[in-house]
Amino acid sequence: MLTVCPYFHVHQPYRIKNYRVFDIGNDNEYFNDNSETDLNNRKIVEKVAEKSYRPTNKILKELLDNHPEFRFNLSFSGTVLDQFEAYAPDVLASFQELVATGRVEILADTYHHSLAFFYSVPEFKRQVQKHERRIKQLFGVKPRVFRNTELSYRNDLAKWCEDNGYIGIMAEGWDKYLGWRSPNYLYRPAGCKKIKVLLKNYKLSDDIAFRFGNKEWSSWPLNAETYADWIHSHHGDGETVNLFMDYESFGEHQWEDTGIFNFLRAMPEMVLRHPDTSFKTATETAESYEPTGEYDVPDVLTWADTDRDLTAWTGNEIQRDALNAIYYMEEDVMKTKKRDLIETWRKLQTSDHFYYMCTKWSNDGDVHAYFSPYQSPYDAYISFMNALSDLQLRVSQAVTEREQKKLAEDDTLIEKEGEKKETVTKTEKPDTVEIKETIPKATNWWNKILQKIPFLKL
Amino acid sequence: MRVLKFGWEFPPSKNGGLGVACFGLTRELLQNGVEVIFVLPKTQETRGNARFIFADEERLLKVLHTDVTPGPYQQSDSTVDVIVGYNEDGTPIIKSRTIIEEVHRFAHQASIIAREESFDVIHAHDWTSYLAGVAAKIVSGKKLVLHVHATSFDQAAGQNVDLSIYKIEKEAFAMADKVVTVSGYTKNIIVHKHQVPADKVEVVHNGCDSFEPQKHPPALAELKRQGKKIVLYHGRISIQKGVDYFVRAARKVVDNDPNVIFVVSGWGDMKSQVIDLVGAMGLSKHVLFAGALWEEDRDRMYQAADLVVMPSVSEPFGLVPLEALQHGTPSVITQQSGVAEVLTHTLKVDFWDVDEMANKILSSLRYPAIRSQMVTEGRQQLEKMSWKLAAEKVKRLYHNLLQYVTT
Repeated sequence: MLTVCPYFHVHQPYRIKNYRVFDIGNDNEYFNDNSETDLNNRKIVEKVAEKSYRPTNKILKELLDNHPEFRFNLSFSGTVLDQFEAYAPDVLASFQELVATGRVEILADTYHHSLAFFYSVPEFKRQVQKHERRIKQLFGVKPRVFRNTELSYRNDLAKWCEDNGYIGIMAEGWDKYLGWRSPNYLYRPAGCKKIKVLLKNYKLSDDIAFRFGNKEWSSWPLNAETYADWIHSHHGDGETVNLFMDYESFGEHQWEDTGIFNFLRAMPEMVLRHPDTSFKTATETAESYEPTGEYDVPDVLTWADTDRDLTAWTGNEIQRDALNAIYYMEEDVMKTKKRDLIETWRKLQTSDHFYYMCTKWSNDGDVHAYFSPYQSPYDAYISFMNALSDLQLRVSQAVTEREQKKLAEDDTLIEKEGEKKETVTKTEKPDTVEIKETIPKATNWWNKILQKIPFLKL
Repeated sequence: MRVLKFGWEFPPSKNGGLGVACFGLTRELLQNGVEVIFVLPKTQETRGNARFIFADEERLLKVLHTDVTPGPYQQSDSTVDVIVGYNEDGTPIIKSRTIIEEVHRFAHQASIIAREESFDVIHAHDWTSYLAGVAAKIVSGKKLVLHVHATSFDQAAGQNVDLSIYKIEKEAFAMADKVVTVSGYTKNIIVHKHQVPADKVEVVHNGCDSFEPQKHPPALAELKRQGKKIVLYHGRISIQKGVDYFVRAARKVVDNDPNVIFVVSGWGDMKSQVIDLVGAMGLSKHVLFAGALWEEDRDRMYQAADLVVMPSVSEPFGLVPLEALQHGTPSVITQQSGVAEVLTHTLKVDFWDVDEMANKILSSLRYPAIRSQMVTEGRQQLEKMSWKLAAEKVKRLYHNLLQYVTT
C-alpha cells in the first residue's frame, strides 16, 4: 500500500504601502495602497483569484466529484481568509465547498503567517488559537495536524504541538537530518512520545512547484502519467508520498500556459490507476502508519532555498532589526487590550515583510529568485519601520491613556474613601491633593511618548 | 598591442570623475599587457606607467601654458585665459579662448602626434578629446574607440543642450568604429539622442578601487559632538548635479528633524543660485558650504558624514556613492545615474521626487541598521567592481576591432 498526501498552502500577506516618515502620527492605515503597483492588496487578491484560486478550485471540485478516493489537505493563513472575505467572497465559498466534501482536511497554522514561535511562544500560541477559531467559524472543523509558517520546524515546536493535542506535524524531509533514510515514512520527532512528523518529499513536490514550467529542465514537459510513474516507483520503499507546496503553484507560480491545469486534472486518475495506490489526508496518514525512526532537528528547518533555513527572513541586519523591533513591542501592545492595535501589530508579523528585506539575491545576482513588490529590500525595510513607528506611537498613547484612566479610577476610589472618611472624620484635605497629582501626570504622559519615539518632535 | 589614448585630465591634478576613470583604466590596461600612449592637452604632473605626451610640448609653437585647464564639462562658449607669449619686458600676453577653440587646437596637435607615433588603435575619452581622436583616425587610418563619460544632455540636465558640443558628439560618434559608454543609462541617451546604432555601443561600467582608507580625525567634530546628523553633498554645483533638489529635500528633512546638518562640498556655476535658494528657504543654519574639498579634506568629510546624497538629474556613472562607501558612509542616489545599475546597496529615488528623497534621508538617519547594512554589503559589492574587469572588457573590444581589420 502506498498513499499520497498532498497539501496546498494558501496565503496572501497584507503588504505595507509606501509609508513615509511624514506619515508617522498622521496615517493609521498601512495596508491600503490603491495604486496600480503590486502593493495594492485588493488588486493582488483579485488577480491571483482569477489566475489561480478560481480555476484551481473548479478543477479540485471536479476531481473530488469524479474520484471518491481523492483526498488532499489545505492550509490557510488567517490573512488570506480575511482578504477573501473582503475582496473575493466567491473564492472563500468555493473553498468551503471543497472542505464540505469531508475529504479535504484543513491544517493548523498561525493566523498571521508569522515566525512567532521563534520569538515569543505565548504570542505564537495566541495566533494558533485565533486561527483555530477562525477555521471553526468558516469551515466547521478543528485541525489536528500542524504546519508552521514556511514549513519552519524544530524539535521544540513538535513538542509544543504534542503538548497541545496535535497528532501530526509537517516538516521538510531534508537529507541533512534524514541521512540515508526515506522521507516516505512517518517519523517520531526527537523528544516526543506520541506525535508523528510527516516529511515533504521535496523532489516530487518541487517537480510541480518549481520545475514544472521550466523548459531547461530535462523532464520538461512533464505529463501526469510520467509523474504518476515516479510516485509508483516508491512502492516497496515507502508508505506515504507527501507532496507539500504553495497552492498558488497552480496558475500563479506556474502559469496556465505551462499546462499545469491539465496536469492537475489528470494526475489523480493516473496515480489511482496503479492498484494499491490511494490518497490520504494528513490525519488519515498519521493514524494509518507508525513511525519508523526518530527525526532530530535541533536547528530551524524550513522549505526555503538550498539552505533550508530561515536566512531568507532573518539573514541580514535590517531583517533582524525589524524582527527585534516588532517582538520588543509585545508587552506594551498586549497591555493596551485594544483589538485593532493588536491586530495591526500581528499583521506586521507576517513573514513576507521580512522576506521582502532579503538581500541574499544581490550577492549571487539571482534577482528573480526573490519576488518582492518593493523596488529594493531597503524600501521594504523603510516602509515597515515607519509603519511600526506609527504603531509604537499609537500603542504608547493607548498604554498611557489606560494607565491614566486607571489612576483616575484609583483617585475616585481614594476620593470616595476620602469622602467616607470626611463624613466620619470631617477633615479638609482632598481638593488640593487632587490638583497636585493631575499636573505631573499629564507631563509624564507626553514625556513617555517622547522617550519611546526619540525622533518625534512636537 | 599599443593604444593611443586622448584625454583631457589626469591625476594627480584636481579634477572630477573623468581623470579618475582614465587613470584606473590605463593602469589596468598596462597590467593586462596593453601599451598605452596617453596624450594630454597640456603639460602636467602624472601618475602611473603610461607614456605621456603633452600636446603643448615642443610641437606647439606659441602656447607656453594656460592658467586654467578648461573643465571638460563647461559650456562651449566659456572661455579661458591663455598665455600665448611674453612681451619683451616679461609680462605675459593673455588671450581669451573658448573651450571649443581649445578642443580644435587639441585635434590639430593630435593629427601631428598621430603621424609621429606608431600604434594599433585610438581611444579618446570624453567629448573634449573626440575631435582629437577623429583627427588621429583620419591621419593614421586606425580604428577609433570613443569613450563617453558624459554627454551634452547630462551637462544641461536635459534643458538648453549646448548645440556646438552636441554637434561634435554626433559627428564624432558617426566617425567612430566603436562607442563605449560608462553605463546603460548613457548608452540609452546616445542611442536616442545622437542616433547611434545600439550595436555600435558597448557598456563598460566604471570600476572602483577598493582599499582600506586611512582614518583621519573627523571633520565637523564640534557638530558631531552636539549629536548633529551630517548629510553630505559632494560634487560640482551645476544644474546637472541637482543640488537644488537636495536643498529642497533638506527643507523637508529639517522640518521633521532639526538635528540634521547638510554640507555642500564643491564649487560650480550654480553656486550663488544655490546659496540664494538656501537663504530663501530659511536653511542658512542647516546648510553649510564647505567649498571644493580634495584629498584628505574630502576623505575627512566622507568619514564624518552619516549619509551622502547624490541628487544628480542626469549622471552617466557617478563615483560619489562608491567613494563614500570606501569611507564607510552609505548613500541616497538618483535613479537617473549609471551607478544605480551596479550598486544595489544604496537608496534610490527619482531626482524630482523631493518628498521621497527626504523620506529616505530621514528614514536612514532614524534606523541605524539600514546604514550599517548598506555599508557592509555595499563594500562587498565594491570589491567586485574593479578597473581590472573594465580593462578586460576594453581589451577584448580592441581585439575584436583589430580582428576585423586583419580578416
